[in-house]
Amino acid sequence: MATKIVGESLARVEGPLKVTGAAAYTADHTLANVAYAVAVGSTIANGRIAALNISKAREMPGVIEIYHRGNVGALYKPSPEAGAIDEARPPFADDVIRYYGQYVALVVAETFEDATAAAALIEIAYADVAAPNVELELVGDDQPIESSRRGDPAAAYDASPVKIDRTYVTPAETHNPIELHASLAFYDGDAFTLYETTQAIANHRNVVSEILDVPRENVRIVMKFLGSGFGGKLWPWTHGTLAAAAARKLGRPVKLVVTRKQMFQTVGHRTRTQQRVRMSAQRDGTLTSLRHEAVNHASMLDDYDENCGEATPYFYGTPNLLVTSAQTRRNVGSPTAMRGPGAVPGLFATESAYDELAIELGIDPVQLRLHNEPDRDQSLDVPFSSRHYAECLTLGSEKFGWSQRSTAVGSMRKDGVTLGWGMSGCSWIAGRFAAEARVELHADGSARVAIGTQDIGTGTYTVLAQLVAETTGIAVDRIVVELGDTRLPPGPTSGGSLVTSSVIPAVLEATRAAMKSALGLATTVPKQPFEDWSPDDLSFESGKIVGRKGSRSEQIDFHQVLRNASVAMVSGIGKAARTVGEEHPKYSLHSYGAQFVEVAWQPEIARLRVNRVVTVIDAGRMINPRTARNQIEGAIVMGVGMALFEQTHYDPRSGAPINSNLADYIVATNADTPQMDVTFLDYPDTKVNELGARGVGEIGLAGVASAIASAVYHATGVRVRTLPIEIEKLL
Amino acid sequence: MSILELRGSAVKVAFTVNGRPVELEVDPRATLLDTLRDALGLTGTKKGCDHGQCGACTVHVDGRRVNSCLSFAAMHEGSTIDTIEGLGTPENLHPIQAAFLERDGFQCGYCTPGQIMSAVALLTEPCGQSDADVAECMSGNVCRCGAYQNIVAAIQSVRKARG
Repeated sequence: MATKIVGESLARVEGPLKVTGAAAYTADHTLANVAYAVAVGSTIANGRIAALNISKAREMPGVIEIYHRGNVGALYKPSPEAGAIDEARPPFADDVIRYYGQYVALVVAETFEDATAAAALIEIAYADVAAPNVELELVGDDQPIESSRRGDPAAAYDASPVKIDRTYVTPAETHNPIELHASLAFYDGDAFTLYETTQAIANHRNVVSEILDVPRENVRIVMKFLGSGFGGKLWPWTHGTLAAAAARKLGRPVKLVVTRKQMFQTVGHRTRTQQRVRMSAQRDGTLTSLRHEAVNHASMLDDYDENCGEATPYFYGTPNLLVTSAQTRRNVGSPTAMRGPGAVPGLFATESAYDELAIELGIDPVQLRLHNEPDRDQSLDVPFSSRHYAECLTLGSEKFGWSQRSTAVGSMRKDGVTLGWGMSGCSWIAGRFAAEARVELHADGSARVAIGTQDIGTGTYTVLAQLVAETTGIAVDRIVVELGDTRLPPGPTSGGSLVTSSVIPAVLEATRAAMKSALGLATTVPKQPFEDWSPDDLSFESGKIVGRKGSRSEQIDFHQVLRNASVAMVSGIGKAARTVGEEHPKYSLHSYGAQFVEVAWQPEIARLRVNRVVTVIDAGRMINPRTARNQIEGAIVMGVGMALFEQTHYDPRSGAPINSNLADYIVATNADTPQMDVTFLDYPDTKVNELGARGVGEIGLAGVASAIASAVYHATGVRVRTLPIEIEKLL
Repeated sequence: MSILELRGSAVKVAFTVNGRPVELEVDPRATLLDTLRDALGLTGTKKGCDHGQCGACTVHVDGRRVNSCLSFAAMHEGSTIDTIEGLGTPENLHPIQAAFLERDGFQCGYCTPGQIMSAVALLTEPCGQSDADVAECMSGNVCRCGAYQNIVAAIQSVRKARG
């Protein structure tokens, strides 16, 4: 590779569109003769619809049609092979209400105002109304599922001199991307075009085509810009089905934008978890056993396993271990993945427990972690592909000034406030989804990379441009990146922090194939420098085709070759195989990090603030350090919210998510932001791809809440095991 | 004749958007936000909550930043309204837009037009000099991606350049 674009902190290539308002998000698209839909939800969480009176709404000005169970037409559950969906029951499928806000009708009108006004006039009579089950205490409904076991953890626990047995709780959280979920649906009598807020266009097409019972190839999903998702936009939700069904019935485009309030009801949330952690150790800190038993809530119809123990089996060494999960049903909409599903709530529990064990042992928490550093993944019994967790811990300690910490509770004061210092490890999966890409080299000197993935704000547009620029030597501003359309070769889902690592092999292979095609073409053009040369004597360097044969040396711009040959383009296809879901992985693929936090506590006015966070991340090679750093910083900000503010409250009487707006559901604002210091270790993980890049979308969140909880304990002496850390818990 | 006129509920309103005089017949229930987006096609201004809680719909009305979801279009007779589309173009960015790009003051970009309209307004507001002051003045604009540190850096770079 001639140039050095990979690893450079390029500004986002789509950035000029975003800062000028020119980037078109789903609800920004419009189509001629579009109608506006507003969905009507139930106002109970447990019961049945006895009658739906739409007559008043039907007479409202501008109303085109009102859809409900009686007239929406056939909608089907997708088969398991179709792909992922969290709420598999099609909307309006029966009269049973299982959660507050469950859609019962859809008003379609000429304008948004007309539809909204009419929706308010729909009368729902309920029957068999019962108290909703939104009980906070979680006990598994069935036998727990064992996801990992080794040794005899119970016996080792009983025989150990030091042990802790603690239960940690993380609340239901709502993703709350600022972009509202939306759908703009169009049916031409044969095929659907669906503009969707989705992190996974291919899965969306595959699942929705079965729900609508149309051939897969007759559904096109378009998503050029996503106003973020954090997991909430991974899989299809019921509003999209309704918009598509209405568009088919009406024969005109239908736009549906979910309200902020409805986003607390119908498009998923991070499940509530209750996790019992039992740990035991020798007096020197050697971990003798670890049991991590989690329960999470699920909706009434669909299974949901949060997998809180995702990181538990491999993170630290211990001969005796048990990880289990169980679910219990509640009258809530289906939970779904939220940034760092499983590991994020799971590590809050296990890393908090580690801090408590360190205190019990009288050992520094950094030293305790270093002491139990494993030399291989003890659950899979395979080597780590690339693990530098110990360096994250030591470098983080150094950058933070951890050696200056005095251990006694409340013993550190500065400028009249009490400081608390805490730390945590973090980890997240690495690997690849399957991916396919096409790269074209054009006669105008540009290149185009086409791949059916998404840029959800993580920087995928820019990374794709960098990969092609690096390989071809074509300037980044001459590279067109095309994504977000199911007409493109199928790319990876934007989930699991896996897009960058997945696209690298596919895009590099496609780029090289296109360059090879250009070299071959060069030898076929009459009266040009390379006529009758062997392609083996040619190479593609910095956008030029260069030939060296004996003492002869010639070069020509690649696009000149295309022009001389009268071709518009040459192209190549590349494919990457998945590692995710491999039955017998050869390596344990994960990223690691350490996070150190300082909080300031003023008991006189009950003010708690996160002052600063030092983070060291071992996630392989960064393709673009600027966008990567933004991912980690943004995750830390979300972690401040997770630790201190965020929880969705379900009203025990109605089952309604009661703080269903951005004033009552608190997310971190600019003023809550700590000073952040992020360092990336530079250990390329070539077991994942040839550039050694893993992913950074989720790991930055994984240690924040436990580090803050530990810092709060250090400042106040109060160990908060149920998030969030509300002020009243400290008084 | 529009459907609204047929219904007899349309209200006439005239205001200026990005320097351009506009005369509209609007539904009296239509917010300024929805009118900008649906009637005028100015979709750079975003809807994030429709309750004045997130700041994604921030525009300037008579030079002051406001949440455009919190007023009706019909209330803006004679107003001068400026949106993100009037600020700069991809080829000719306003200094705040250029700074957001350079400092990576966004990820998904959805809240960004609102952030930028707030930031431009902040330049002429009595906001203190420190980063904390800027963070406070920008806290009506929620960025769920959490690009706050970079947003403050972007704004401060423009303020420092202006002296």
